[in-house]
Amino acid sequence: MSSLQDTVNPQDASSYDSAAGVHRREAVVYPAARGEPKLWSLGGTLAFGVLMITGFLILVLWNGIATFWPKPIAVVTLADGKIVAGEQTREELFKPTADQLAKLTPQLRAVIAKDDGYATRRLYRTGNFDFYGDDSKWVADYDVAKVDYPRDMVLAERREWGPFVGRLKAVVLDGVERPVTDPSEGWVRDALGQAQARLAQIRKLERDEIGGINHKLEQERLALRRVLLKSGADSAAYGEAQAKFAAREAELKKQYEALSAEAQALKGRNERDRIILTEVGGAEKSLPLSVIVRAYDANDIGLGAKLAVYGSRWAEFLTDEPREANTEGGVMPAIFGTFAMTVLLSLIVAPFGVLTALYLREYAKQGRIVAFVRISVNNLAGVPSIVYGVFGLGFFAYILGGSIDRLFFPEYLPNPTFGTGGLLWAALTLAIMTVPVVIVATEEALAAVPRSMREGSLACGASKWQTIRMIVLPRAMPGIMTGLILAMARGAGEVAPLMLVGVVKLAPELPIDGYFPFVHLERSFMHLGFHIFDVGFQSRNSEAGKPMVFVTTLLLIALIAIMNATAITIRNRLKKKFAGSQF
Amino acid sequence: MSAVSVMEKPATPAQEQPFGETVYHLQKGDQGIALDIKDFNLWYGDRQALHGVNLTVERGLVTALIGPSGCGKSTLLRSLNRMNDLVDGLSITGKVVLDQVDIYDPRTDVIALRKRMGMVFQKPNPFPMSIYENVIYPLRVDGVRDKRLLDETVERALKGSALWDEVKDRLDQSALGMSGGQQQRLCIARAIVGDPEVLLMDEPCSALDPIATAKVEELIDELGGHYTIVIVTHNMQQAARVSHNTAFMYLGRLIEYGKTETMFTTPKLGRTLDYVTGRFG
Ligand SMILES: Nc1ncnc2c1ncn2[C@@H]1O[C@H](COP(=O)(O)OP(=O)(O)OP(=O)(O)O)[C@@H](O)[C@H]1O
Ligand SMILES: [Mg+2]
Repeated sequence: MSSLQDTVNPQDASSYDSAAGVHRREAVVYPAARGEPKLWSLGGTLAFGVLMITGFLILVLWNGIATFWPKPIAVVTLADGKIVAGEQTREELFKPTADQLAKLTPQLRAVIAKDDGYATRRLYRTGNFDFYGDDSKWVADYDVAKVDYPRDMVLAERREWGPFVGRLKAVVLDGVERPVTDPSEGWVRDALGQAQARLAQIRKLERDEIGGINHKLEQERLALRRVLLKSGADSAAYGEAQAKFAAREAELKKQYEALSAEAQALKGRNERDRIILTEVGGAEKSLPLSVIVRAYDANDIGLGAKLAVYGSRWAEFLTDEPREANTEGGVMPAIFGTFAMTVLLSLIVAPFGVLTALYLREYAKQGRIVAFVRISVNNLAGVPSIVYGVFGLGFFAYILGGSIDRLFFPEYLPNPTFGTGGLLWAALTLAIMTVPVVIVATEEALAAVPRSMREGSLACGASKWQTIRMIVLPRAMPGIMTGLILAMARGAGEVAPLMLVGVVKLAPELPIDGYFPFVHLERSFMHLGFHIFDVGFQSRNSEAGKPMVFVTTLLLIALIAIMNATAITIRNRLKKKFAGSQF
Repeated sequence: MSAVSVMEKPATPAQEQPFGETVYHLQKGDQGIALDIKDFNLWYGDRQALHGVNLTVERGLVTALIGPSGCGKSTLLRSLNRMNDLVDGLSITGKVVLDQVDIYDPRTDVIALRKRMGMVFQKPNPFPMSIYENVIYPLRVDGVRDKRLLDETVERALKGSALWDEVKDRLDQSALGMSGGQQQRLCIARAIVGDPEVLLMDEPCSALDPIATAKVEELIDELGGHYTIVIVTHNMQQAARVSHNTAFMYLGRLIEYGKTETMFTTPKLGRTLDYVTGRFG
């Protein structure tokens, strides 16, 4: 480039012009006309956005994936002789207070002063909430005398009180105490497996069988109440029903006694098999074996065993119910709730949005009223979602649900059936919130169907509705699906309105179960989005919940991604069907 | 062609004054009149697009509509099966009579009317479905379910539109994957599958190459005896080749309507001569 410019002397060129008597207009080139100076800012904005999203995804992915990986247990001896044991979870710089500094030796103070008054501290997840009243402990580096990783340290996850960090002393089977230090020894595992199997059996007895009996009993009671509400307390029918109820009740009570005795026996058996653990301070703890979820010698396991622990934690997380105020256990009910709500939401929003758009675009006379409706619909998308929550609670749950209860479920009153938040109302609320997206997308898709195709169909003698059904709608389907995908993504990630219309911290029953009518749309449910909020910011110790926040976020993102990917695959298939070469 | 008698209306001397009377010298078919357009005026909003058109379409003959771009050929053609109903702000006066019934009578069933007329558009407009489904679309609309009948009809219509040999092995493939010429012949098959009385074609060859054009013209020739065809074209040779009568339109008016041979050799009006010889247009 430069060599070219060198050869042409601008002085020469101008002298040539004037010599020839040609008057050339001085070419003024505005900076904006040269190149694309704004491109940098446009590209920069995009890059910034992409960077933020990627960073966020990497953060969630990394933390989510690492959470369940078994970490070594450090035993930290402090300068004052105290011992702290636990998994190191974080480290950070901090500024020791004047009090803390006052207690240090002058050398240490000098070191800290050299670092601008900063020192390093580490957070250890110590577990043993029942002993320490806390889950984790900050340890400043200047306090540490030595850090060991003894091979016999054990991490035992318990059903209550969170994890136990310490050493295994013995396992008591059938009253015989057998000393052992390694939890991965075959017979310990077997005993643990048996205890857990018994626990599962107890659960099954209590939940399924006794639960079934309770359900039947409740049904009988409701049937009796229905007769009472219908015929009055003095009627013959009521007396008859009462007698029948008493008989049924006695029979069910007998079944109940038998089952609960069986469960009691199993419980007693589980109480007898125990595990004895010692905390680093020397305190001993004897626990029923069945309380242990899993136990491993954290500093002495190989990669295979680590992978096994990792896998079983994920499996538990995905398939189990939460325990310990949601900070441990699984999130299966929340996954199910999120999924069920999103599917229900799509089922409601699709016909609703498509029919509205069809009317607006194809049938309504285009004029001021339609234009006004269209603007209103677009503006609906800007209403804060919590407002929809309030509306859903007020209109759906209280007014609509209340009326349904009075008409169809009087025997349950004063307990609400539909008269409170639930899956159906939540899905409806989100459907109203997301329907503008579907309407706008569908209208656009309908408008994009070429006029020649409609004319072709009409010229064949098809009616307007036939044309819409057989030509226009299939052709517009990919566009409609796009709208639906957007609506779904927005709905699945929404939390605020749900807190008002049906999402709860802990739902004892899934919306689908084995009792008639099998799908219980009136039930409240759990939701991954709310779970994140609850675990991370509402639980007794947020430090224990923090890793779960990442895992649950990862899961929520994955779930939405999977649902969207499915919808997008369907859409692309449709697109391929309708897009061919024209010539 | 043999059974065609020539009738000439008393020839008005060619007036080159603004617009005189329409000059008629059309040949009559032996099956009577298919469509009778009487004093037809049409406005898009407040712009008049057709001025007092009087025109009879002979049953069983091919009638060509020619004229410079924007003169109202498509408008007239689309008035015949009321495709213009889709346009907002359209108004008309006059009549279009099909079998003694005015198609613009409010009591007329538009859908039944359109079923009696097939239409082929300027740009092929196959539907986004299989070739098979495209062809039988008019029958689907009527709710025909009989598989044997549908199969037979598809074969007959595709043979009728000279497409059968090319597509008989891929009837279940998307029609959008065909070439433009094939698509246009598919649209012709779709237009004739319901066995309409009248076939309306709006520049059916304008998007086709010469070979496909020749095929479609051949087709029009074959269909000629069976259907009444009204075809709009910009191609003078084509009009001369395929039609019996030719109507020349100019600025929304019917200028001259007569036997094709005469129209292209010795038209009664100078304006027509100028146009067909390419001196203006
Ligand atoms: N939908 C419409 N709304 C308003 N004006 C229209 C409409 N369709 C056609 N016109 C007008 O009516 C006149 C006749 O149009 P038409 O399409 O019938 O012309 P044409 O003879 O078919 O022309 P071409 O040979 O270019 O197809 C034109 O001036 C056109 O601008
Ligand atoms: Mg036209």
